[in-house]
This record gives sequence, structure tokens and C-alpha cells, in this order.
Amino acid sequence: MPESKGRMGYFCSLVPTEIIIAAGFKPVWVKGKAEMTATADARLYPNMCPYIKSLFADAVEDGEAEFDGLVFTRSCDGARRLYDAWKAYIPSKFHYMLEAPKNADDLAVTYYASQLRDFADRIGKASGSEITGPDLKKAIKEANKARGKMRDLYSRQKVSPLLVAGSELFSLGLELLHGDGDDAADSTSALQKKAAGSDVSAKGRKKIRIMICGNVMSRPDIFQMIEDTGAEVPVADLCTGLRSFERIVDEKGSDPFMSLAQAYLGAPRCSRTAAPAETYNRISDNVMRYAVNGVILTALKFCDQQLYDIPYLLKRLNEDGTPVLFVENDYVFTDRDRIKTRIEAFVEMLAS
Amino acid sequence: MLKKYYTEMKSGLETAYQQKPRASIQMTIQLASIFLEAYRADKNVIWTSFYSFPMELLAAFDVAPFDFEIAANLLPTFNADVAVEIMNKAEEVGYSTDICSYHRLAVGCDMLDYMPRADLLLSSSYFCDGKSKTNKILADRYGREAISLDIPNKISRESVDYVADQLRRIVGKIEEVTGQKFNLERLRECIHVSNRARRAYGQLADLQKVSPYPYIGVPVINMSIFGNMLAGREIQEQIYLDMVEESRKKIMEGKPAPEKYRVLWLAWFPVQPTVINQIFRKNGVTIVMGELARNYWGQMDESLPFESLALWSLRNPYVGAIEQRLKGINEIIDEYNLDGVVHFSTDACRHSCAAQKLIGDVMKERDIPYLVLDGDMSDKRKYSPERTEMLLENFIGIMAGRK
Repeated sequence: MPESKGRMGYFCSLVPTEIIIAAGFKPVWVKGKAEMTATADARLYPNMCPYIKSLFADAVEDGEAEFDGLVFTRSCDGARRLYDAWKAYIPSKFHYMLEAPKNADDLAVTYYASQLRDFADRIGKASGSEITGPDLKKAIKEANKARGKMRDLYSRQKVSPLLVAGSELFSLGLELLHGDGDDAADSTSALQKKAAGSDVSAKGRKKIRIMICGNVMSRPDIFQMIEDTGAEVPVADLCTGLRSFERIVDEKGSDPFMSLAQAYLGAPRCSRTAAPAETYNRISDNVMRYAVNGVILTALKFCDQQLYDIPYLLKRLNEDGTPVLFVENDYVFTDRDRIKTRIEAFVEMLAS
Repeated sequence: MLKKYYTEMKSGLETAYQQKPRASIQMTIQLASIFLEAYRADKNVIWTSFYSFPMELLAAFDVAPFDFEIAANLLPTFNADVAVEIMNKAEEVGYSTDICSYHRLAVGCDMLDYMPRADLLLSSSYFCDGKSKTNKILADRYGREAISLDIPNKISRESVDYVADQLRRIVGKIEEVTGQKFNLERLRECIHVSNRARRAYGQLADLQKVSPYPYIGVPVINMSIFGNMLAGREIQEQIYLDMVEESRKKIMEGKPAPEKYRVLWLAWFPVQPTVINQIFRKNGVTIVMGELARNYWGQMDESLPFESLALWSLRNPYVGAIEQRLKGINEIIDEYNLDGVVHFSTDACRHSCAAQKLIGDVMKERDIPYLVLDGDMSDKRKYSPERTEMLLENFIGIMAGRK
């Protein structure tokens, strides 16, 4: 494995970080700005997904110095335009648009594998050293291991009260995604030990359990709001939550690019690729698996992928008798008090 | 209700056509006929997207294609208030007013059982995320399969193969659903017919370069949306040739509309009634071209039908990075002697709206007046005639100042 060449930013969980690692860069999921600004409105559009606007505003206001390059994906309409605006207005050392298919069948997997080869070629050139097969296989192994630890922690969240608070686990996942690798790995191991050492059979009153489902979230606000009511969050079905860690890449496959394409396009899929019925089935499974009492569906404002699914999901969950609350968010939670009130009322309703 | 509208529309247009046989009327008769065919019990009905799916593929089968977006969204042209009532149905079950009115209206129509049944639902991953999403939502209601033709961002050997292979697979699915056997020669013939129509359309596009402009602009934009529904059918060429003939006649007789300003229209034209045409007529503004009305796709190779249809999709200005769209816009500016460019902005059309600034930068560089005209395609609650009038009058003033 080559020495670290710097930090390579990416925005979407469809980007195989293994290729970035194999090229010698540290993969960093880009969070964007921590507060709302109007910087992106003029160059993108006010009614765009706030995550996209936050990324763009951050780059305009603070520059791209934090990164040695960025990987974009054809994730959604907003992401395509983000790439266009980025090229036009923000000087970059390296940027690449990764062609992530919107389907997930065998044709899409084969095509994605071809695009991953191209990506590996380009990022290898940017790093100054070609990505070799052993480099990539080693990176796949490393990433599988890190994701495996997180999966292990999530699998222990089936008890109540939780051994690890949902907000703590979510924040740890964010650290891993944000490239705080060594510290996060230590924390993961520490949490694993803590969870393994706890006596599951003991421990007090069971709590109300709420699952959070949605797309991108970079801070644990909603988790904390739920926990402040005395309820707990065993699982978060988010791009930055459990979904990111559920992928297992075949380490023994003869073509690592095919293995990566299969794993990244395979389940669990976000609402970009999945039909609403598929999303419902996954939520429903997790409701059973984690013994959840209620579901909070959350969507970034103006995220069409999510907003189109919401009525379907609300209807199906209501038909099942699963209590559900829908909360739109603006990524930085400027309306946190309003959301908090709604969550408190929801938990109160569940308690009664 | 939709069926009733289209029955009345067809009957009225046929009467009008007898009195005044115009190609644009014939085009709309065809649209109504295609929609009505989808209500026939003996037909296999395939929901699709007329403007973004290669319709030659469907023309190679005996099926009734149905575009849920266009079918629902002609309603506001008849009655914008009824359209709002129908959108309300979708909003009542949770469809946010932040999502496109085109889709809220389609979902509302479906909830009210206005649509014909679907046997298979085909969509494409472009122009927008919402179209493909709505396709999946509606498919679930019918218990039918939704297939989205995934169009990558760039043209390459791999992407052409990827799209062509998807089309082959869709052919298999149509065979399965309809029980019909696919005939490769028939598809080649459909592409041949489509190529002829394209050549005829090219003549029309050339005539549109004449000043004063011989043909009213809005039907040209409409044709870029509706026209492709007839791709692969003989009548498409005939309609275009009739338009060419009508335009030539107007030029010969010196009867083109009075023209002071020539503008290019970007993105969509609202289907609900607006003051736009009235203001343009009053001020001698003609829309000489729409970005999707341009002949951007080239002749298709009949010997490689699937690859040709894949390329047709990949070359759409709304596919890929903004450079592909800008290239088309720049070519129109070079060829059509324009006084200004109008970008219609429906705020839920995020991919289009988020390109406004980038397009504006190019217009500034080229010193061409550029207006972002906000409004909504179908939702009268998001349209203000006063604001539209103010923006257009100011824009016309700017163009006048440069004459």
C-alpha cells in the first residue's frame, strides 16, 4: 500500500472508498457547512437539497484546501448540478464524476465495474502510483473489517435498554466515514468491549425504541432529541447510518471491481435506486429485528428521492399499525425546537 | 374524466382540421388518438415517457403507449382550477407541494382512476429523478413492473453498450407482457421511418432561421415534447412535411407573424394558461427555437438499431454534464440570430433550475439578454400573471434598448 497522499473527499455512500484507499488517499465523507448560509443560493438554486447547498457553500467560503481531490457521483439531479457548479466556480486539484448506475441489476453491475476501473485508473494517476490488485484487495479487507465492527455493534442493539446509546453509535459511524480512522477504530473496539462486557439480562426498565430512517445526516440532533425524552434509538437506516456499514465486499472474487460493484449496488439501497416497496420492506424488517415501537421518517428538504417515497411509506406503515412520524429537516436543524416538540409529542403518544 | 377530455378534444380538433387543415392540429389529433387508444380493453398498454424514451422501440410492437405525465398535464390547458383540485388529492395523502406539479397531478389523476390500466411501465433516468420515481409509485398501484432505462452521464463504448443491452432486455419484457414476438426487421424499419421524419424536421428547423419567423413558436416547443410520441410511425414525417409546406407558403406569401424580437426558450413551456403568449404577441416577440426542439441526435444507423437508440438517448441535452446542454444552446445562438434567451423556471425542476446561473454566465459572456422566468407548469397557485408580465415587459425593454 502506498503512503498516504492526502485526503480525498466524497459525498455519496455509493463511492467505493476501497479504491481511494488503494490509491493511497484517505477517504473522507464531506459534511459541508455546519450552519445554513445563502452562499449556494445564487449559484445553484434556493430550492435545492440543503446537503448539496451546504457542500457548495463550504467550498466557496472556505476553499477546498482541506482536500486533495473530490469524487462526485451521479446520485441525483442535485449531485449532477453540484458537479457542474463545482467545475465552474471552485478550483480543484482533482475531481471525478463517478457513473453510479441508477439500476442495480446485472447489467448495471457490469457497467459500474467498468466505471470503477476507469476511476481507479484516474485516481491512480492523480496519486502518482498505479493501483495494483494486491493494493485493492488489501483495501477491501481493511474496509470490510471496519464495517464489520460497526455491524457487530449494531447487531448488539437489539436489547433494551441499549448497551450503547444510539447517538453514540451514530457519531462513531460518522467519525469512521469522515476519515477519523485511527481514533474511530479505537473507539469502535472500545465500544465493542463495553457492549460485550455488559450483562444483557440485567438492566432496568425497557425503553421506548425508535428507528430513524432517511438519507444523509451529519449530526446526531434527532438522536439526542429522542434520547432526551427517555426513549432510545437502536438503529438508524440512513446513508450515514447502518446502511453504510451493511456492505460486505467479496474478498475472494477474481475481479475486485466486480466484487465492489456488486456490493455497492446491492442491498441495502437508498431511495435513489430502490422502489418505495423495497424501502418499506427493509424498514418493516428492521422494525421486527430491532423490536422498534415507532419509526421516524426524515428527509432533507427538497430531496425528491425521499419526498416521493414518503406518502407510500406512511401509508404502508400505518396499515401495519406501526406508529410513524415524518420530519423534514434542513440538514443543519435550524428549526430544531419545532422538530423537538414533534418528537416529544410522538414519544408521548407511544408511551400512552 | 381524462378519457372524456381527450374524446372531446379529438372530436373538436377533427372538426377544426376539416375547416383548416393545419399540421399542428393534426399533431394534437394524433396525441388525443394515442391516449384514447390506451383506454381500449383489447390493447396492451405500456406507460412510458414520450419525450425521453426511444419510441421507435414501442412502434415495433402493436401496443398502446401512454405518457402519464403529458396525459395528466394537458388538463390545466382545459381547466387550471380542476387541475389544482386533482393535485390536492395527491397533497392530501402526503405529496409535498415542493415536488413537481407534473407528478402531483399525475398521481392525483391516478388516485381518481382517470388513467388507463398499465401492463408495463417504462421510464428513463433522465430528465429528472421525479419522473422515474413516479413511474415506480404508479407501478406499485397496478402491481406491474416498472423499468427505468438508466442513461449514464457520458457517451462511451461502455455506456452505449449498457443502454443498448437494457433496451434489448426491455424488448424481452414487452414480449413477455404482450405475448408478441419481436421482429428486428420491423424495428429497423421504424428507425428508417424515424430517420426520414428527422430529415423533414431538419427542413423545418432550417426554415425557422428565416426572419421574420414563419411559424408560431410555441407549437415548435410542444412538438419537441409531443413529437417523439410518433417516432417510428409514418405519420410523423407527413406532419413535419406539412409544417414545412405551410411555412414555405407563409414565406412566399409574405405572411409571417410580425417579428421584432427573436428569443430562444429554455426548459419547459407552461401548460396552464398564462399571459406569456399574449405579451409576446403584443410586443412582436417570437420564440424561434426551444433547446429540445433542435435536431440534436443525428441520423440513426438502421443496421445497429439498439446502439442507435442508445445514442439517441445519450445525446439528449439534459443528459450528462452541463457542457452538453450549453453546447446545444450555443449552437442555437450561432444559427438563429437571437435577441434574447428565456429560461422558464419551475422551482421543483431542480436539475434545470440549478443550471440557470451557469447558463446565465455564458449568456453574459456572449452579451445576450437572459431572463429567468419563474412560474409553474401546471399549478396555478404557483403562478402570478402580474409577476410574469412585469418580468417579460422588463426583458422586452432590455431587448428594445439594444436594437
